[in-house]
Amino acid sequence: MTRTDEKENRKIAAAKKMRDIMTTYYLDALSASQNHRQVAWITSGGPVEPLVAMDIIPVYPENHGAMIGSAKMGEDLCTKAEEMGYSADLCAYARADIGCAVAKGGPIGGLPKPDMLICCNNICGTVLKWYEVQARYYDVPLFIFDTPVCHTDFFPETAAYVKAQITEYITFLETVTRQKLDMDRMNQVGHLSFEGQKLWQQVLRTTAHKPSPMSAFDAFFFLALIVTLRGTTTAVDFYKELIAEMEDRIANGISVVADEQYRLLWDNLPVWHRLKWLSKKFSDHKACLVADTYTSAWCGAIQYIDPDNFLDSIAQAYTRIYLNIGIDQMADQILDMIAFYDVNGLVMHSNRSCKPYSFGQMDIMHIVQKKAGIPVLMLEADMVDPRSFSESQMDTRIDAFMEIIQHKNRPHTSADMQTGTGQKAGGR
Amino acid sequence: MTARNLKNERTAPMKEVTPFYRAMDDPAASGRNITHKKILGTLCSYAPEELIYAAGYHPMRLFSSKADNHLAQNHLQTYCCSVVRGILEDSLAGRLDFLHGTVFVHTCDSMQRLSDIWRLKGRYPFFTDVILPAKMHAPSAQTYMAAVLERCKTDLETDTGRPVTTQALADAIRIYNRIRKNLARIYALKSRYPAALQNKDLLALVKGSMVMDRQAAADHLDKVILRLASAVPDTKDAPKAPFKRLLLSGSVCDMPGLYDLFQETGAAVVGDDLCTGRRWFDGLIPEDMEPMAAITRRYAQRLVCPAKHQDLHTRAQHLIDQARQVAADGVVFVLLKFCDPHAFDYPHLKTCLDDAGIKSLVLELDDSQDSQGQLATRIETFIHMI
Amino acid sequence: MICAGIDIGSITAKAALVDDEKLVGTHIMFTGYNPAAAGRQVFDELLKQTGISASAVKRVVATGYGRASVDFAHKTVTEIICHGAGAHFLAPDVRGVIDVGGQDSKAILLDANGQVENFAMNDKCAAGTGRFLEVMAQALQIPLNQMGEISLGAKTPVKISSICTVFAESEVISMIARQKNRQDIAAGIHISTAARVASLAGKIPLCPPVVMTGGVAKNKGMVKALKDRLGYPVTVGAMPQENGAVGAAVLAAGT
Repeated sequence: MTRTDEKENRKIAAAKKMRDIMTTYYLDALSASQNHRQVAWITSGGPVEPLVAMDIIPVYPENHGAMIGSAKMGEDLCTKAEEMGYSADLCAYARADIGCAVAKGGPIGGLPKPDMLICCNNICGTVLKWYEVQARYYDVPLFIFDTPVCHTDFFPETAAYVKAQITEYITFLETVTRQKLDMDRMNQVGHLSFEGQKLWQQVLRTTAHKPSPMSAFDAFFFLALIVTLRGTTTAVDFYKELIAEMEDRIANGISVVADEQYRLLWDNLPVWHRLKWLSKKFSDHKACLVADTYTSAWCGAIQYIDPDNFLDSIAQAYTRIYLNIGIDQMADQILDMIAFYDVNGLVMHSNRSCKPYSFGQMDIMHIVQKKAGIPVLMLEADMVDPRSFSESQMDTRIDAFMEIIQHKNRPHTSADMQTGTGQKAGGR
Repeated sequence: MTARNLKNERTAPMKEVTPFYRAMDDPAASGRNITHKKILGTLCSYAPEELIYAAGYHPMRLFSSKADNHLAQNHLQTYCCSVVRGILEDSLAGRLDFLHGTVFVHTCDSMQRLSDIWRLKGRYPFFTDVILPAKMHAPSAQTYMAAVLERCKTDLETDTGRPVTTQALADAIRIYNRIRKNLARIYALKSRYPAALQNKDLLALVKGSMVMDRQAAADHLDKVILRLASAVPDTKDAPKAPFKRLLLSGSVCDMPGLYDLFQETGAAVVGDDLCTGRRWFDGLIPEDMEPMAAITRRYAQRLVCPAKHQDLHTRAQHLIDQARQVAADGVVFVLLKFCDPHAFDYPHLKTCLDDAGIKSLVLELDDSQDSQGQLATRIETFIHMI
Repeated sequence: MICAGIDIGSITAKAALVDDEKLVGTHIMFTGYNPAAAGRQVFDELLKQTGISASAVKRVVATGYGRASVDFAHKTVTEIICHGAGAHFLAPDVRGVIDVGGQDSKAILLDANGQVENFAMNDKCAAGTGRFLEVMAQALQIPLNQMGEISLGAKTPVKISSICTVFAESEVISMIARQKNRQDIAAGIHISTAARVASLAGKIPLCPPVVMTGGVAKNKGMVKALKDRLGYPVTVGAMPQENGAVGAAVLAAGT
């Protein structure tokens, strides 16, 4: 087989369908007003299911931010926001979005104007401010879904508060749309959301196999559906296909990294503007990033969901997410993943744009070094702004890290590969 | 005492203010001097100090001592604000060992993570999180906030082994109201008679009050007011002063040197909305209400911090109203580097001020000492412009 | 009435003499280690040069980072105000000034009367200042005063993305290792600097007519990169470096 053929075989076939689905999704969103549909901008951790149930098109400025980063358009848009007076130290998603709203730039010429803004602060406090800015700019109603942080526990008063807001949320939507929420439709969407999340979890767990059929870089790409189309049959159907393709690859011994020797875990958001470079850098070292804490956050709430009672489940499901808990609990989840995926090292992206994700990484690093005994690499960069990225420094650090990993681990023998040793049955 | 020329005059502060300077210049020493009560550290003006006081502790606001960063850098990256990093540094270096514990409140993302790091370090016997809502006005948020303050009260009671009585709460409310009223009066006097106090005195008075024994603070403030009242001219109209009037806006502005810079440039600070200023003393607690409910209400309604959501326009309107009320010639934004909530509000506030015809300057502060020269250039230029 | 302006910058000290709205002369020298001595020396040398006696100079204004050390000045005024005044004096229709010096860069907006209406400064980091160019010239191993000219010969300028001077330097070094040509790298350096400076201008925002002042204005490559980035013409007067001192002398008359 030629090298090109080999490379082609490693490509994931479902990626093309995914791109088509996302294109359709954005086209629908951009033409919403012509089709008499309303558009809601919502945060990535926000409770989208009621929107879907009310036929409102959810649009995710953060997903758009990822696209801007991947298209390497982050610098210009962030500069635009800086010229408007926004500090260059603010989250690059926010800067790019604020710049884009005014400049109508980015890979799709800007997002469709929102009819409403839904802001859930379970991921960070930045979204609160970002959405205030956009609410003033677009002069549209803003709903804030306030999910208090669970440093150590999910208290009764937190539960009561978030539950009360679910009611307020529905009232808000009904007021803005002048429709009533159909509970049958809501239950249907709730079931689809639950199923979608379970399927996404299955997708991610296929990488427990040695060698892995896909990597975190693939997960970063395929994540978009569970974020933007959660609660739809489209997401459910697609992930079923994706799982089938992964199982097929496993059966045929097709790994995403040729000759996988080392398995790594990624922490924090991706460096959207450098994914190809990072992917090649690691695969040249025969290392596969088999899992990450970011994409797994979209199946982290399964334990809190009662699919027959989805609306009520929102309280815990959306409050107890990965970023909204104490860093000791985050470290515990990382330790679980290290064991489940049998990784040799942890790569932590110290992401200048995201304080809740990045502050505490050093403490988590020490916990991991102590309890799991694996090397940890810190990469300083930014998820969208390329100006905080230094390739030559990144290069050196990754090389040095891989040297340590190589020194600490013997490569997998061919016997290990054939029997697929290491694939864990059951959950974490 | 006659109204002095503000400019180029570096005289010793009046003796009634010196206890506040002592507390401000060495909060740790001030803390170590309080031996009759256990000390709980707070890091934000949303901390329910009245509860802490009523429970029998001394609530002490923590400030970064600005020592070099050796230890905190192993926990917090460089893109963290100097307030958070600096306080962590002080704790890790043992400079806060006089604390019995801390009360963290939920405000910004950096504080949220500092809370975890601090809790995991487990350096002090007592630790609690008061997880305040991010929304201030929604009824559900106020219900939640009341429950959260109840939980805080319970945590304190568990630690002391004694209930926090209604009487103790009422006494705490009274003393805090006294302090707040006095500070508001002092600010009003400074606005009317800018030469009556040095600019830096305002910082000393507020910061000192946050650090020293509250009874002592209240008593000292009474003396300051008596002294000021006797010293200022007994006329209805404030004399037309030769200096420019500045309103400061921002969060923690713990830079006495900055206040001196304003003074040297011939500008009087006649008001602010700072955490080390009005944000701390704004809003009296109704004394005719059930105490816990009254405390909840005060924290929900007082001058909002941008880490919280009140609504979309009130903060800007308040700033303009305040600027007009103190007849400010200009507004100076004193923003800490890496302070996201304030940085997000700034462009909107600036636009509103521009539309209202009020000139403004933005200073991005960090703890580096050599920024003084750069600050001087910006401030002098601004004073020249207004 | 003869008035003098003294501008003590981080690298050079400048002096200017103005006699009733007429510019009499200017002088420039390296500041060296002692700003106070530099202030006296640049003033003395200008007096010698113009044949004017010290007693004939009625008012002196000092500006620049070392202004406080000019003990014979009657008043100190910031370089922002002085650059504005100088630019307005030399070209009254100018509405914007972009000053790029050794240690900082500034954008200044003037009103119709030449008064400063708004300003933005970058004085916290080297990117976007003469220092950045100096570091890069060293990395490229070409004389600083030739780098501008060299950059004009570029066919395909490279992209330098880092905001940090140290990061950018390592980018340049790795480009040299990859044998990219000097002209393209030099052009990339100028484009990167222009981007930083332009974002300052964008904060205000500045609008033409705009003049560039400061030592870096003598760099043809920088002026071109700035024009390209801003999308409007940027003129450079006959004495970009002395502009601040001229402004100080003009302001001295009003003190």
